[in-house]
Amino acid sequence: MMDELLEYGVYVALLVALAIPLSAYINKVMAGEKTPLSRVLVPVENVVYKCIRVDKNEDMGWKKYLANTLVFSIFSLVGLTAILMLQGFLPFNPEGLPGQSWHLAFNTASSFVTNTNWQSYSGESSLSYFSQAIGLTVQNFVTPAVGIAVLFALFRGLVSEGHLGLGNFFVDVTRAVLFILIPLSLVVTMIDVWQGSPQNLNDYESVQLLEPVGVDEEGNIVDADDPAAVETVDEATVPMGPQASQVAIKQLGTNGGGYNGVNSASALENPTPLTNLVECLSLLLIPVACVFCFGRYVMDRRQGRAVFAAMFVVFLVSLVIVGVCEQMGTPQLAADGQVYMGTDGQSGGNMEGKETRFGVTDSALWATFTTSASNGAVNSMHDSYTPLGGMIPIILMALGEVIFGGVGCGLYSMLGFVILTVFIAGLMVGRTPEWLGKKIGPKEMRMAVILCITTPLLILVGSAVMCLDPATVDSLNNPGAHGFSEVLYAATSAGGNNGSAFAGFNANTPLINVVLGLEMLANRFIPIVAVCILAGSLCTRPKVAVSAGTLSTCNTQFVFLLILMVLLVGALTMFPALALGPVAEHLMMVL
Amino acid sequence: MKQAKTWGSGLLFFLVMTVITGVIYTAVCTGIAQLVFPYQANGSIIEVDGVKYGSELVGQQFTDEDHMWGRVMSPSTGTFTNDEGEDVLWYGASNLSPAGEDFAAGVQERIDEIHAAHPEKGDEPIPSDLVTNSGSGFDPHISPAAAEYQVERLANNTGKSEDEIRAIIEKCTEQPQFGILGDARVNVLKVNLMLDGILPVE
Repeated sequence: MMDELLEYGVYVALLVALAIPLSAYINKVMAGEKTPLSRVLVPVENVVYKCIRVDKNEDMGWKKYLANTLVFSIFSLVGLTAILMLQGFLPFNPEGLPGQSWHLAFNTASSFVTNTNWQSYSGESSLSYFSQAIGLTVQNFVTPAVGIAVLFALFRGLVSEGHLGLGNFFVDVTRAVLFILIPLSLVVTMIDVWQGSPQNLNDYESVQLLEPVGVDEEGNIVDADDPAAVETVDEATVPMGPQASQVAIKQLGTNGGGYNGVNSASALENPTPLTNLVECLSLLLIPVACVFCFGRYVMDRRQGRAVFAAMFVVFLVSLVIVGVCEQMGTPQLAADGQVYMGTDGQSGGNMEGKETRFGVTDSALWATFTTSASNGAVNSMHDSYTPLGGMIPIILMALGEVIFGGVGCGLYSMLGFVILTVFIAGLMVGRTPEWLGKKIGPKEMRMAVILCITTPLLILVGSAVMCLDPATVDSLNNPGAHGFSEVLYAATSAGGNNGSAFAGFNANTPLINVVLGLEMLANRFIPIVAVCILAGSLCTRPKVAVSAGTLSTCNTQFVFLLILMVLLVGALTMFPALALGPVAEHLMMVL
Repeated sequence: MKQAKTWGSGLLFFLVMTVITGVIYTAVCTGIAQLVFPYQANGSIIEVDGVKYGSELVGQQFTDEDHMWGRVMSPSTGTFTNDEGEDVLWYGASNLSPAGEDFAAGVQERIDEIHAAHPEKGDEPIPSDLVTNSGSGFDPHISPAAAEYQVERLANNTGKSEDEIRAIIEKCTEQPQFGILGDARVNVLKVNLMLDGILPVE
């Protein structure tokens, strides 16, 4: 028991301890200040600007900043769709895999361009090395960079005193990629390879089975000497490819799309507990750092700490619930005492869908980290979590991915909630709402509300559309309430731009691919438009002096109010759906 | 004119980023990995006398009485073929709800199988990882408790003493890293390669 608690502590403490210095570095990079890597990287940076014919000193207003963000994303979407559909004709395809169907390619491209990384396919059996490295990895780098860029555009609007420029989109993205994401990814890649992750361009290996098996006429696996066997299989596959390099950035960029179908549960992607620690910290590191960046940027670090505190409280409570539920397991597994559920010589607890080297502790940590961040990588199968243990990830996603959330986008959505809280608290005491020395007007409020309700709205519409189609039943892997949870999880994951799944759900149908694809696009780009308008509007607001009546946005009371506001919006929108899925399943389990 | 510039720069930016983060980044990672960690970078393949017996990181299904059993697996064909076009095995997770009836029935079936093969264990509760499917479907490990549960059966069926079996298990066990990270675990394929005399115990 002490060992488990110690391990939980190590993960959480390291996360915060690393994020604070990183936030100082990120702020320096985004301000174009000198850093230890400048000597090497500034010349590269300048070559990029020259190639794309951009003046790095140009300061863009909100319209131009937004236009460039959207145009770049459109090219990404079209380019990636083309690569995925045409991979059969492209090089680096040792397994000779064909292109994806139009709806799967649309879904996959939408997914990776929106930093979601929902996957309706298994990477190792359907994507070539070209698609993985030249298609997906590129989006894994640029989408978090776009998130950081838009976040800093908002910061600039916040502190601006009449100056209308929000910075330069191309410079922001280039710096985020070159100075932050690539160096961190190189470190994580090398740790992963050292511990066992493949990194090559070889053909897949076929290896000799110690115990060959037979296949009967229906394709079922039987003993090799079974009379029903019509074929003997004596080899198994070991998927190869440039895995570690893609895994590193899928974690750091809150992308989450696995190289392999089973993601970081595969020992090829996540070979040891050490890589689990490194990958798990990577997936939440930059989102946490962004919160501290905020405090530093507005020259009042208490502001960052307050937002961090609100996120951290919800995060810790979630972690405890998942850990306890999974360690307890289910009566179905305990089978009246026939199965040993304790922790002597084993992890114990609900081991269905979990790896031995991780056990319940590393799995619960990862599940909470990955759904707090809008990462979506998994190291255990969430579909096989206990009903309440699996409900927490749904809630974390449905709250709008604001408990740290995605790189950049998690914080800008949370700042929407901060504005909403300031407004409601202001109403309660009868004062005009102010935030960071700026009056909050109707335009700011409209944008804040858009940031707060886009996710829950998309989730509800998405799951409703899927439930209306009778064919969705064929996609389910579990009957009853858990089957509904699978649909809800898919809609929530896409609507929160998370990308994890109750993976038994077969999402590769035209309807589901298109619904989820549209959900992902809407949840990425509606908030980006809102943030740019918000930043542009904040630029024009003059600074007002702080008076005794100004509501503090960095004391305990505000932290409490902010948590309340996030939970209130989440509960009002999601409670009925949760009652039909995980809550119903839990009640059926215990009654 | 201005709009054309936005589109032009957007397209060029996409192409430049593709070269930097797709081509150069992947090539640099692959180059360094192949130079510094060639064994791991090529899949941690266990090769003895020219025969590739598997990867340390990909489990195999064992049901013979003289082999150690691992996690529950559901192997299938149809996903991959080898160079000669023959079917080869691949694995997947169950994704079953652990509160469901299908799951309960599966667990009971596995319990009965294990009881039948381990009469000497009587009603002793079975370690939970031995009756469950893993996250990947090809977990290469089981817990020390699950390994210990099988020692008597392995001794009875291999002609080795229980101490010899325990020595092999010990040899294939990895402890939590740095004393606290993760759980202790036994590599099932390596144990079986040693039981079969393919890998040396010493």
